[in-house]
Amino acid sequence: MMYTSDILKKARLGERLAREEGLFLLQNADLLDLGETANEIRFRVNPDRQVTFVVDTNPNYTNICTIDCIFCAFYRHPGDAGEYTLSVDSLVEKFKSAAANGVTTVLLQGGVNPALPFAYYLELVRRTVQEVPDVFPHFFSTSEILGMANVSGLSVKDVLRQLWTAGLRTLPGGGAEILADRVKKKISHLKGSSADWLEVMREAHGMGYKSTATMMYGHLETDEEILEHLEAIRLLQDEHHGFTAFVPWSFKPGNTPLEKIIPHYATATRYFQILALSRIYLDNFDHIQASWFSEGKKTGQIALHFGADDFGGTLQEENVHAAANFVNTTNTRECIQLIHDSGFAAAQRTTLYEILAVHELPKIKEPAAFEMSS
Amino acid sequence: MHEILFRDRALIPVWEKVLRGDRLSLSDGMILYGTNDLIALGKMAHTAQRWRSGDAVYFVLNQKIEHTNICVLSCKFCDFAAKKGDIRAYEMTSEQALAMLTPEIREVHITGGMPPDWPWERYLDLVKSIHQAVPEADIKAFTAVEIDFFHKKFRFPVEEVLRQLQVAGLRTMPGGGAEIFSERVRKLLFPQKIGAHAWFEVHRIAHRLGIPSNCTMLYGHVETIEERVIHMMKIREAQDETGGFLTFIPLAFQPGTTGIKPPDQFTSAIDDLKTIAVSRLMLDNVPHIKAYWVMLTEEVASVALNFGADDIDGTVGGEKIAHDAGAVSPMTLAKDRIVRLIRDAGKIPVERDAYYNPLTLHADKVIGKIPFLNSVPFYAHFERSKFRIFPVVPRRMGNLGRKGQIDAGPFSLMDYYSQEKDLELMDWCIANHHEVKSVLLFSSVPWNQLEGKRVGITDETATSVQLLRVLLRKKYGVHCILDRLHAGVNDWSAYAAVLLIGDSALQKRKTGIPAFPHIFDLAVEWQEWQGLPFVFAVWARRRNLPESEKRQIALLLERSVVLSETDFPSVGGLHGRRIGLSPSEVGEYLHGFTYRLGAAEKDAMECFRAFVAALDEEESNEHRDAEMNGQSMHSV
Repeated sequence: MMYTSDILKKARLGERLAREEGLFLLQNADLLDLGETANEIRFRVNPDRQVTFVVDTNPNYTNICTIDCIFCAFYRHPGDAGEYTLSVDSLVEKFKSAAANGVTTVLLQGGVNPALPFAYYLELVRRTVQEVPDVFPHFFSTSEILGMANVSGLSVKDVLRQLWTAGLRTLPGGGAEILADRVKKKISHLKGSSADWLEVMREAHGMGYKSTATMMYGHLETDEEILEHLEAIRLLQDEHHGFTAFVPWSFKPGNTPLEKIIPHYATATRYFQILALSRIYLDNFDHIQASWFSEGKKTGQIALHFGADDFGGTLQEENVHAAANFVNTTNTRECIQLIHDSGFAAAQRTTLYEILAVHELPKIKEPAAFEMSS
Repeated sequence: MHEILFRDRALIPVWEKVLRGDRLSLSDGMILYGTNDLIALGKMAHTAQRWRSGDAVYFVLNQKIEHTNICVLSCKFCDFAAKKGDIRAYEMTSEQALAMLTPEIREVHITGGMPPDWPWERYLDLVKSIHQAVPEADIKAFTAVEIDFFHKKFRFPVEEVLRQLQVAGLRTMPGGGAEIFSERVRKLLFPQKIGAHAWFEVHRIAHRLGIPSNCTMLYGHVETIEERVIHMMKIREAQDETGGFLTFIPLAFQPGTTGIKPPDQFTSAIDDLKTIAVSRLMLDNVPHIKAYWVMLTEEVASVALNFGADDIDGTVGGEKIAHDAGAVSPMTLAKDRIVRLIRDAGKIPVERDAYYNPLTLHADKVIGKIPFLNSVPFYAHFERSKFRIFPVVPRRMGNLGRKGQIDAGPFSLMDYYSQEKDLELMDWCIANHHEVKSVLLFSSVPWNQLEGKRVGITDETATSVQLLRVLLRKKYGVHCILDRLHAGVNDWSAYAAVLLIGDSALQKRKTGIPAFPHIFDLAVEWQEWQGLPFVFAVWARRRNLPESEKRQIALLLERSVVLSETDFPSVGGLHGRRIGLSPSEVGEYLHGFTYRLGAAEKDAMECFRAFVAALDEEESNEHRDAEMNGQSMHSV
């Protein structure tokens, strides 16, 4: 018979957990026992009592997409009302004004628009690197890379190589959802298999790219499939250590076809369980990101005590969650405040986790030292 | 729960105090609030929560009625109140209030502004008509501030105000209006409102009348951390005196348009969780801590259930989250969501009444626990598994068992007998060969003088009351009127004797009850009469459980009993300390029990069962004779 205390102890000693052990923890462990061990490991990997964040923006160059994922409220088919595709010029202008506002990272993703030639993407990367040197391009998910391979007739490897030459160094980790083909067939049957996502990442990491890894849970997946997902990225990480961070988030049902099957948001408790388990299970990841943006500010703050050491981006512009009626904006100052309120110094970082500035935790003062004017 | 890995070592001495059962001081409270080690603080509070509630989290199907927003006060933090003539001002008639009620409601929460011109009868009528319309629902009405307002405006004593409301149907009182017990803050924010002294006075009187109440704390405005901890300590002090507070509810300040804070500056999630945890640890004598989800957000409330809170209020405000109700009622939707939120936190959703009696458990894999010292050995070393532990007094466990909601547990003997069809015996029991010390009749007179007198019976017992009945009728040949006391505060002056069980019997055995100089130990009475042990409870499980689960429960139970038997004083030490027993008294008490069901115990069970059956038949014959006599008298 397995006991959660034994498995947690093993994890704290730095031993790798088996998949069944991870599953047992997810299904049986007390929330705070998970959090405690996740926290121990978090401070072993990142000893400073600080939480990193990046000043970024998350525009979308197009909402045209032909993949029909049933969890997405953002995309439009070609010719639909409300479809748009931005020109390279207008995007570069957008990035310039973002840079002027202190943005250091542009996380750019689109739909998968078959009308866009590969040259569009190359030009976008090249001009961004040349004309907006203060921002770091963090462009294109695996689905878009596969889309480029389709429109150009090139291999994934060649697509990645040409993008690298144009100046791209990191990829966002979206599009993984749950890396279990049973689920993928149901929620995104045109998006490709788990192996496709993993293969693009493997090629990219082998070439020197860094990326994040994500997981979107809270829809049709089972606990076993969550472990399948974690296992797949842990194995890939062993090969090149190409993932900078792991970012789990919960499915947001608003305005999506999947909403009819899954009418509830996953609860915050579930989020902390998944987050803590990720920290414990993914023994070869440096950073676990609290997605305050998708989970809410209060949840994001608590997450910092459940194994997360990064607060994600300030997301000056975001469209995908907004399309699902889930709007949760903040700015740099508030981001720092939220981190401080959680009891950590706030460190601004780059896409590659280099620290730009540290905002120390203010001396503890009474939280409400407000003076009445009367 | 495993032991705690402290990152902040300042917490360790405070935790040691908690483990010793020592009361925490102001500086302990400040250390708890000051820590950044949120997980350790949470585990401390969660452990303290589990000692009381096991894995239970309570909610109630309730409806809030705010009969008017017109208020003579002008508190700075309030953006609810309006003045008469304002566009926002409203007043409800009793009929309008009734229209808000639906049949499934179990608690109606009435509170509102303090209008200058309502006559006293209008309030009484409001309570009375609600009570008549939904008699199944308990009415929780009027904060201490409103009660004090009635007292001053209508010029009769607080006691009289409450008595009249009680007659109209009021059962419990909400805890609002406490804000923060600090004169400094009161002068700044609500100078017209009653202060701590008057607030406590109203609650003290209510508790004396048998009206339990809640207590609150409004935090996140201009108060200091020290003022919060002092606030908790003042409640703790009052609770020592009356024992009438059911629940403490920390209320996060909502800035709104009050101007006290910017409208978007809510308390941080960390502050919310710390406040829940610190209050659980400081308030060692208040049974429940509530995470009021409407104010905390569902996210924080769900996590708070692992940080010390064991109550999540109820469906009140349900209409706000249930925007697309369609065919289902907002109440049902809100209920489903609350149930899910509690289950996700790893807890048992327990639908309750106003006194925290469980009505329905919305979970399976539930093991019942008698929350008395004598049952500690069964649970002290019970490993965390897929089973959830639900502490509940014997009679209520029987009721839940009848609904099929308890998979296994120590059932009161009579409850086991009435459910033999669904339950099968396991190998453990709670039995005594001599003194039990915790099933006691406290009496003003010897047995033979009880003839024709009223005897108060604790609400908690199912078997002890039968034992008392058998002893009265068969051993002593006296006839008494047995009255059930209700849960909570009771006035015993109407009774010649009272039957108490469990921890409260143990406590009263030590302190004595002045009006009842005679204390009879029912196990001794039985043993001296029949020469047999007495079996109060037997472990039983549902017959239809899968074999693997039956085996697993038996293994976990045997392990806990074996480990506990090696050191009774320390496994029961903390529990004993909370009810005023020394470790050696605890050891002696627990050694008095037989936890294994052997042949002697089984014989004793059968013997007692035969007595009860004979007595039942006798009484039903007497009843029939009385009826026949009545009829013949009529016919004459």
